[in-house]
Amino acid sequence: MIEASGIPTVSLSMIPDLTRAVGVPRLAGISYPLGRPLGNPRDAEGQRAVLRALLDVLPRATEPDTYVELPFAWPDSPVKARNESKDVPPAPIVALVTRKPWLLPNLYSGRIPQREEELCAKD
Amino acid sequence: MSIDSYRFLDFATRQVMKAWASRERAGAIPFAPLKKPLDRCTVALLSTAGIARNDDRPFDQERERRDPWWGDPSFRVIPLGTTEADARIYHLHIDPRFGQADLDVVLPMRRLTELAQEGFVRQAAPNHYSIMGYILEPDVLVNETAPAIAERMRADGVDAAALVPA
Repeated sequence: MIEASGIPTVSLSMIPDLTRAVGVPRLAGISYPLGRPLGNPRDAEGQRAVLRALLDVLPRATEPDTYVELPFAWPDSPVKARNESKDVPPAPIVALVTRKPWLLPNLYSGRIPQREEELCAKD
Repeated sequence: MSIDSYRFLDFATRQVMKAWASRERAGAIPFAPLKKPLDRCTVALLSTAGIARNDDRPFDQERERRDPWWGDPSFRVIPLGTTEADARIYHLHIDPRFGQADLDVVLPMRRLTELAQEGFVRQAAPNHYSIMGYILEPDVLVNETAPAIAERMRADGVDAAALVPA
């Protein structure tokens, strides 16, 4: 929509298959954990490098659905990154499909259950 | 595709993300070429971390907790110079503590200002934006929120925008 109004955009993504499925003009994939797209807090140099690489996709792209993989590697193991956020409560939808796995197909099909049913559902 | 950030996620969240990816269908993708070199561009940032200034309306977490299929489709303006002390992160799907400790982790306005000082871009726009990235039904986002953000960006003379997910 921003692009359609004439302003060129570039999107960063940790989950490029999701972002690409939505459809964006210019996409830069990065293997960083969710919640830390630019890197770790107070790593100004690392954050600046990511932002520079992201913006650099703007002049280079010549057609929609341009996809670039940024060459940054997360400094720690995935296990460590996961453990750092272990005490964060799951998102409501994650908690819901964990409790009621039979609702997961609704996410796949795009059939969102009736609100009333959900609101009235007793666990 | 060699980027695999699913490995940073727990199993249940991974399943939800994969389901979401599989249900999306890209329509026609618009494309606006960059009209001038980056070092002559005013650049704006848009974060999906659900950032709202402390003096602004919070994103609606309560309704999402009641109805997990719903996500707040509104947006907030984050003026340049806003820091982690002035704002809060309302996205319920991420660990907000990293961006809360250093807002540039999710909305790199200071880094953008530094890139302008280096001459990589002309300048950081006076206003930046945040939405909350978990929205399964994007009608309001696409038809109301995004056009409203685009309108403000145009009014600010923005030449290019970078979208940063959370």
